[in-house]
Amino acid sequence: MSIGSIWRKLRAVIAPAVLAVALTSCGGGGGEAPGTTSPPPTAISISDAEAGRFLTQTTFGATDADIATVKLLGYRAWLDQQMATTSPSHLNYLDNRLAQLRLTTPTATLNANNFYESFWLYSATGDSQLRERMKLALSEIFVISMVDPNVDTRGAGAYYDMLGANAFGNFRTLLEQVTLHPMMGVYLTHLANQKEDPATGRNPDENYAREVMQLMTIGVDELNIDGTVRTSGGAPIPAYTAADISGLAKVFTGLSWYSPTPSNNTFFGRNRDPDASARSMIFYPAFHSTSTKTFLGVSTTSDGPGDLQFALNTIFNHPNVGPFIGRQLIKRLVTSNPSPAYVQRVATVFNNNGAGVRGDMAAVVRAILLDSEARDVSVAASPSFGKVREPMVRMANWMRTFGATSVSGRYLLNSTSATTSLGQSALASPSVFNFYRPGYIPPNTRLGTAGLTAPEFQIVDEVTVAGYANTMQTAIGTGIGTSTDVRSTYASEVAIATDAVALVNRMDRMLLYGQMSSGLRTALTDSINSIAIPAAGSTQAQIDAALLNRARLAVYMTMVSPEYLIQR
Amino acid sequence: MTGFSPSRRHLLRVGGGLSILGAAAPFALQMAAAGSAASQSAPDYRALVCIFLFGGNDSHNTVLATDTDSFGRYFSARNTGNAPIALMPPGTPPTPVGATSSVTGRVATADSPEAWGGVLPIVPRTPNPIPAGTNATVRTFALHPFLGPLKTLFDAGRLGVVANVGTLIRPITKTQFQGGTVAFPANLFSHNDQQSTWQAGVTEGARVGWGGRMGDMLAGMNGTDTLFTAISTAGNAVFLSGQSVIQYQMTTAAQPAVVINGQSGASLFGSTVAPSRVRSLIQDQSAAGLFAADYATVTNRSIGAATTINGLFTQPVVTAIPAPTAYVNPITGATETNSLATQLQTVARMIAASGSTGVRRQVFFVSLGGWDTHDFQNTAQSNNLAKVAHGMAYFDSVLASIGGVNMRNAVTTFTASDFSRTFSTNGDGTDHAWGGHHFVMGGSVRGGDIYGQYPTLGVDLGSFNNPDNSRGALIPTTSVDQYAATMGRWLGVSESGLDSIFPNLRNFPTRGLGFLG
Repeated sequence: MSIGSIWRKLRAVIAPAVLAVALTSCGGGGGEAPGTTSPPPTAISISDAEAGRFLTQTTFGATDADIATVKLLGYRAWLDQQMATTSPSHLNYLDNRLAQLRLTTPTATLNANNFYESFWLYSATGDSQLRERMKLALSEIFVISMVDPNVDTRGAGAYYDMLGANAFGNFRTLLEQVTLHPMMGVYLTHLANQKEDPATGRNPDENYAREVMQLMTIGVDELNIDGTVRTSGGAPIPAYTAADISGLAKVFTGLSWYSPTPSNNTFFGRNRDPDASARSMIFYPAFHSTSTKTFLGVSTTSDGPGDLQFALNTIFNHPNVGPFIGRQLIKRLVTSNPSPAYVQRVATVFNNNGAGVRGDMAAVVRAILLDSEARDVSVAASPSFGKVREPMVRMANWMRTFGATSVSGRYLLNSTSATTSLGQSALASPSVFNFYRPGYIPPNTRLGTAGLTAPEFQIVDEVTVAGYANTMQTAIGTGIGTSTDVRSTYASEVAIATDAVALVNRMDRMLLYGQMSSGLRTALTDSINSIAIPAAGSTQAQIDAALLNRARLAVYMTMVSPEYLIQR
Repeated sequence: MTGFSPSRRHLLRVGGGLSILGAAAPFALQMAAAGSAASQSAPDYRALVCIFLFGGNDSHNTVLATDTDSFGRYFSARNTGNAPIALMPPGTPPTPVGATSSVTGRVATADSPEAWGGVLPIVPRTPNPIPAGTNATVRTFALHPFLGPLKTLFDAGRLGVVANVGTLIRPITKTQFQGGTVAFPANLFSHNDQQSTWQAGVTEGARVGWGGRMGDMLAGMNGTDTLFTAISTAGNAVFLSGQSVIQYQMTTAAQPAVVINGQSGASLFGSTVAPSRVRSLIQDQSAAGLFAADYATVTNRSIGAATTINGLFTQPVVTAIPAPTAYVNPITGATETNSLATQLQTVARMIAASGSTGVRRQVFFVSLGGWDTHDFQNTAQSNNLAKVAHGMAYFDSVLASIGGVNMRNAVTTFTASDFSRTFSTNGDGTDHAWGGHHFVMGGSVRGGDIYGQYPTLGVDLGSFNNPDNSRGALIPTTSVDQYAATMGRWLGVSESGLDSIFPNLRNFPTRGLGFLG
């Protein structure tokens, strides 16, 4: 894409006023809450390397056009432009896919592979890259998993859409839509959850009440605004008790499938509305607890909707939420061990976006990505900075950066969950605890000795490191998926592959934001040069084959190098 | 790269074989020849196998008390809701699907307990003491109807039950727990934290587990093959991480290590230079960045061990390990994969392979998920229990002859789980709780008995106040530390070593539970 065409495209989506700001503040950050946000980067222009690094945190991988756009707009306006774009609907994709399947097989049904198709398609090629990254990040905090057979594919697609729709909205709305989504309802089992029965001692299911606090909003310990744990007598202060969970569990009673004509039958899942898996659950008053619900120091005795609003407001306003969510999003996008000051700056914006609004996710995301700790390359040079790139992100990075296309148009990768593959698939973690915990500290490592967390290391072991390398070798070589469906011709790389130095520089630019080590540079150059370009008199096919091999080798070696595997 | 080289020691050990086979023979072939002789003896070999039931197994529906008082309270608490989870009394014949149960008056479905028949009685060799709070004068016990293979092992004396085990700091009563007057573990009822506490004594973020610590203390018996001291087929588990011992991951494939092809071939994308450059590149641990250096360290171990392990697994003594029999879901009748049995096959293969290595002490970690039965408990837990029974019985049968040697006495297998579940139902499932019952299996286990105090059952209703139950959770009367230390002592850890691994062990009156000879 030329700069001119980017410019025209942007004009369509950005208000002239925003453009004017963008033109005068290229590279400028900007505080959300005056006095609490770190100073913006002062560079008046953005280098290719800086743009590439920014895109590593905000997209599934840089393209030449992306780099040009970031340089043109500056970070902030680029974020604004991204937030203004919507992402394509997975639910629509799945409905179209099912219609297509039924042309040949009238009884065809969807399965998880069909969702993965849409995940790779939109992650690799979607224009709304920041939103796509946020969908994945949010799906690893507000976890549902198709590993649970009760989570159906169409509902999962609707859930992923819902995460995307709320990625830059208000956290309170996100929390409510997560709570009411029927796929969360079946996954954390508050769908068709019944009120207590004192006669038998039967209690409501406490699953969602526990995990919404532990994993999605508050966490087990009280936090300071900088994310550090509050202690009393040296011990962490629990943020809630078992009694709080039992009390909150009563709020999440009486919810079940949407139905235009609710009845006891529809509460228990019979006579299911065809769209029930994609529509918010509704309250069934007969099954909602009528007793007083006490939790987190407050009480409510209302009907279902009244209790729910009260409870979600209470959770949303808990002081832990800002540092808890801020830190988790930093870990998904930027670095595994943010400084307390960084967490505090982000949490402060969560608490107040500068206009008195709590939970403004657009402001939170800006605060995370424009912070000096995210942008300053000298900070990134610290040995403890960075994170393991998620295997799914690496694969999409290959597709996007090297223009891989799907022969079928359907990105037929199927599950990549095997430890001999990527060890993960979107919306398919082993449990609500995600593929990895934010607090995971890898034992017997330098990181562990230093007391540093490294969430993604929870799935790094002797098997998975080899599984990833071999999977990428296949993808980069012949292509990946059913009938090697997704492949790249490496057009941009082949074009310069006669010149090893140029090819290496391109790997540095596209995958390593200009930070390639001399060791990798030498290994790549020597290896590329060892593939001889056939001399004059050879056929063009022979020459093309050598150039293609050079490109593939360069991409493979870079993508298995430790310096690529760790995002800095 | 530095350090790790499992092959060097093997080459020293099989040096005699080299002259026979010729120095040019492939390494795997050398190992096969050496292994066939060494596996016959395997002197002083012992292993612990942890079966972790991720999600929290409802042990109330696993090991039951069937005396009138206990079963009556059990049945009234669980025979309620839209999908009651109460199991049928012992001796109840299965109600055919579609017929009405004489016990409950409900029509049986394939996934209702009425269709499964009564729980299976077991008779402990030693009468379990009568706890406070129950009217029972004698206590009788039973297993879930799908645990027939475990009843057989119990009756044969190779399986024991350890009752009401849980994470504890020191003994605690209900009054002390509810009053907060005696210390108890942090973050009870939280999956990840209690998994970590079971495995490592503290909540999430722990870096050293008791399996790995036992490995630390015994790795000296393993020569230089220390990498094969702590082995997982179930992903990273802090249980296996020692201060020096590092857990090693295997797949369940016949060749369990994955070779990184890009560095192992003669050429890569047409370059004969690249493979060696890749090999150096991906194992380069010299980066200043801690993440990159640590990642390269894992890759280094992966490459260093792969050829050795895959070579060992070509030996006849390993390939002779039979596959598990097909697993049939007892509710649906469908044949399913039993990943637990498959993992135990890999453990058996590794035990067989150990005969030709210097390894004398091993700790294994295998797992089965799907125990967090907040709903659909009847279908999910029952099928899972049947898988446990199928897998453990398979493992016991395989251990009877590894290369012609009965290895049952050398291997102790035990269950562990996040926690047990609430005594009361939420309609079709149960919630997170605390103490639970567990199985220990092996030729060295004094089986056919129940160890620890089986608790009083019943929810607090009216004037009944169950001293063992708080908000539906059993308050453990045996600590994980006691359970683990009993096995650690058998494995060969010294008393001072046990005190070091389990600093709270001295808070309990009994250090060993007596279930291992």
